[in-house]
Amino acid sequence: MKKRLLAGALAAVMTASLTACGGSAADSGAGADSKGVSITIFNSKIEVQAQFEEMAKEYSEATGVGVEVYYSNDTVAAHLATKYSSNDPYTLSMVDAKDVYSLAEDHAIDMTGEKWIDNTNYALSVNGKVVGFPVCVEARGLIYNGEAIEKITGEPFNPDDYSTLDAFQGLLEKLAAGGMETPTGIMKEDWSLAGHFLSEVYETQDDVDGFISSLHAGTADLANNAKWNGKMDYFDTMMKYNYAANSAIAAEREVSEQKLAEGEIAFMFGGNWDWSMINAYEYSENMGIMPVPENTSDGSNKKLVGGGSKYFFIDSSENTSDEQRQAAKDFLNWLVFDQAGNSFLTEKCALVPAYSNIDAAGLDPLSVSVKSYADAGNLIDNYNYLPDDHFSLCGAAFQKYLAGQIDRAGLAAEIENYWSSTTPVEH
Amino acid sequence: MSANEKAARNKKINHGIKIIILILLFVCFIFPFVLVVINVFKTKADITSDPLAFVGAHGFTMANFPEAMKKMNFGRSFANSAIITVCSTVLTILFASMTAFVIVRNNWKACGALMGMMIASMVIPFQVLMIPMVSLYGGVLGILNHRATLIFMHVGFSLSMATFMFHGAIKTNVPVALEEAATIDGCTRWQTYWMIVFPLLKSTIATVAIIDAMGFWNDYLLPSLVLAKKELYTIPIATQVFYGTYSTDIGLVMAALLLAMLPILILYMLLQRYIVEGVTSGAVK
Amino acid sequence: MKGEHSTMKTSTMSYKCKQFLMFAGVTTAVFVAVVIVPFIYGIYLTLTSWDGVSREKPFVGLANYGATFADGAYWQAMGRTFLYSVIAVILVNVVAFILAFLVTSGVKGQNFFRAGFFTPNLIGGIVLGYIWKFVFNRAFVALGNSFSIGPLSTSWLATTGGAMLCLIIVSVWQYAGYMMLIYVAGFMSVSEDVLEAARIDGCTNTQSIVYVSVPLMMSSFVQCLFLTVTRCFMVYDVNLSLTNGEPFNSSVMAAMHVYNQAFTYKNFGVGQAEALILFVVCAVVGVIQVYVGKKGEVSA
Repeated sequence: MKKRLLAGALAAVMTASLTACGGSAADSGAGADSKGVSITIFNSKIEVQAQFEEMAKEYSEATGVGVEVYYSNDTVAAHLATKYSSNDPYTLSMVDAKDVYSLAEDHAIDMTGEKWIDNTNYALSVNGKVVGFPVCVEARGLIYNGEAIEKITGEPFNPDDYSTLDAFQGLLEKLAAGGMETPTGIMKEDWSLAGHFLSEVYETQDDVDGFISSLHAGTADLANNAKWNGKMDYFDTMMKYNYAANSAIAAEREVSEQKLAEGEIAFMFGGNWDWSMINAYEYSENMGIMPVPENTSDGSNKKLVGGGSKYFFIDSSENTSDEQRQAAKDFLNWLVFDQAGNSFLTEKCALVPAYSNIDAAGLDPLSVSVKSYADAGNLIDNYNYLPDDHFSLCGAAFQKYLAGQIDRAGLAAEIENYWSSTTPVEH
Repeated sequence: MSANEKAARNKKINHGIKIIILILLFVCFIFPFVLVVINVFKTKADITSDPLAFVGAHGFTMANFPEAMKKMNFGRSFANSAIITVCSTVLTILFASMTAFVIVRNNWKACGALMGMMIASMVIPFQVLMIPMVSLYGGVLGILNHRATLIFMHVGFSLSMATFMFHGAIKTNVPVALEEAATIDGCTRWQTYWMIVFPLLKSTIATVAIIDAMGFWNDYLLPSLVLAKKELYTIPIATQVFYGTYSTDIGLVMAALLLAMLPILILYMLLQRYIVEGVTSGAVK
Repeated sequence: MKGEHSTMKTSTMSYKCKQFLMFAGVTTAVFVAVVIVPFIYGIYLTLTSWDGVSREKPFVGLANYGATFADGAYWQAMGRTFLYSVIAVILVNVVAFILAFLVTSGVKGQNFFRAGFFTPNLIGGIVLGYIWKFVFNRAFVALGNSFSIGPLSTSWLATTGGAMLCLIIVSVWQYAGYMMLIYVAGFMSVSEDVLEAARIDGCTNTQSIVYVSVPLMMSSFVQCLFLTVTRCFMVYDVNLSLTNGEPFNSSVMAAMHVYNQAFTYKNFGVGQAEALILFVVCAVVGVIQVYVGKKGEVSA
């Protein structure tokens, strides 16, 4: 009896595994012989994954080109590493600038001569070849909630009035006196502290490459550097008024964003991507991004830092056919030159377009700020050549500063130490 | 009061203390689980502002379920997960228990070598194998994107631990005398194994089944490497889009979690009986 | 078997081969294909300076091992992992054993309790971290503030020692129910007759556990210890979702450092070499522990 049962179970399992094989074989067969080509897209902007999937369906119906959009929870580098190792790369991959630099030489095709290049300032080139298609413009700065501020001050809030740290401090005092005792929030994540904020110290230098070289050489003197001290003076002010001052290092991003959206706090450093979190709460329409306040006359306190963000590159390996590559190029042109493509980028995904021919209406408040700075030429360029471990190691040092474990001199020393022991990134 | 009554009273007090300790521990253990259940009926904003509240400011909502089900293509993902989990678990149990049997009962060099390698392999960090594995099975053999490949790999990775557990069970719980009796009755080793030994392993089979099935059902990393096509996605891969580094749709995550954990909970309840029954009851008869 | 079956048949080579292949053939083949072959290829990759994505894999000999020994952060992470593992392993097993004892002692509703202790296993990886982060960051802090309990009023996750403590608490919570299963199987395998005999001989409950059940459950102990030791040494999921190495990278465990080294910092070869050394350390600890445990095991 037992034996029979067992035999039965075995048979069932075998059949099931066979079905499993059969099933998938049939599936992959169906994909290959369908009309026309089909391409795969790797999306690394999770907040627009749903929009991408919907777009893929519509695009397929309209053009007959099959499009599948994938997302991975893994880090982009690790995920693409596994895809390349298994000879199964995406036709189009959306990655950050630094990934383009490491991947392009081996895996990206040359897109020089494509029509969209004339319409953008943000295309990425490696070795003189255009390899990266910019998806959108993003910028960093101080996010404010104007409604919350006006409620206390009783007068219209104009961010331009607070470009100096002195004026900004005056405003914070007023807010604190008016009932908002802790008007600021600070993201404690290492990518925010070191990747986004600390890098502004480099990016606002007169000669960015020269400054980075002097850091590598160990000759840079942060303690006497005007930009360093300017940014850190601002950071100290933010720390003083931080709503989570007594455990700044445990502040949760979701909570901070909610407080900012709903006006419990008025200021937090971030970027227009933060909207995808703010919009989950009862946000105020009167929000925006302003430059980091600083007592300076070099004009950097009138500009945001940012530029092109997220780049598509097309796979160059033999796993992708020429038809697929052409379909991928067509898709990129569709994004830039087709009405439907434009509305997908700006209306559905609410991205600030990186192309001069695309009108953007209906952007979210943060993106509206970014676009107005970008259109006026008031963006300071991103520095895309930071070493891969910069955000993690310098971020840890910055967290110590935020927790009050080291002072400004200690932080400067750790950062100088980091740079002098790191090999420069070639570019 | 007689000695008997006293003993009975002591026993009662003892019992009471045990129950109190159990209830306290129980509360600690299921507290996070309760949080999941509470929050699944709230909007994202309410979860962030007060995860402890029973009902959020925006009221009770069921919206997370249909949305999660739609976004993760629940039916298809569920079927994929089920096929893969069932096949992997059954095959692992069959092969691992057979292997453990031959290793325990024979002092051969090959047995020692295999067991040694298996024990050592249990501590290989998965990161070491990840890239080489996809290079071999994808780059060289080109057999990724099949459920059968994943089942094969699941079995390969879990055999070590399962064999290890059966090894302990056979060694301690299966009397050699029973096997000898069967041999005298004319059974081959193969027959002896299936008729005498395997049925005695019930409680270990149940334990291994629940541990492995749970592992397969919840595994994310390996399936995400092997199954890169949407139609093959298992539940954990299908829900990955609910949480990323920069944003988490926690309401959907919790809904998906509740939907996904039910089968495992049911399986546990079913197998519980065998675990409770134990080996002894079967062995002596 | 050793010698009991001294017939001619059992000693020939071909009989041995046939038996081995019949019972362990498939296992050996699958195991070698899935684990051993990729592992060997993985060792080869430690000898290259591959970055994980480029086409070339330049051979660099033992340079990556040199880099590993020079990587201070790696050895710090190792030390931290060691400390964490020792504490977590002890606590997990003590709690699991107590749980198993309680739920096999004939208490009313013990099945219900077992299912409850098992629930942590149903909540995997990321969600688990999110829930506990909330508990430590906010539930505890809210409690601390409303009842003015000093140590609770700031988040434990904000301090170096606190983050470690949180990791240990969550690990105990996560694994105790799992290990309880194995101990329960162990308790069930101790035959009633033996316990009855002990009782007649005048053993108290505690005595029969210590002198009768525990020795008979040796294989459960070996299994549980081995499993917890290896799991703790390779902890990654909870580390990532609960602390993500914070504050100031002070809670980065070995596996997380390896992952960052290989993929975030794009030193694939060095990461692979560091993972391999982690493996050797785990293997040595694990094998010693199994070997010592086996010595104490009682055969039936």
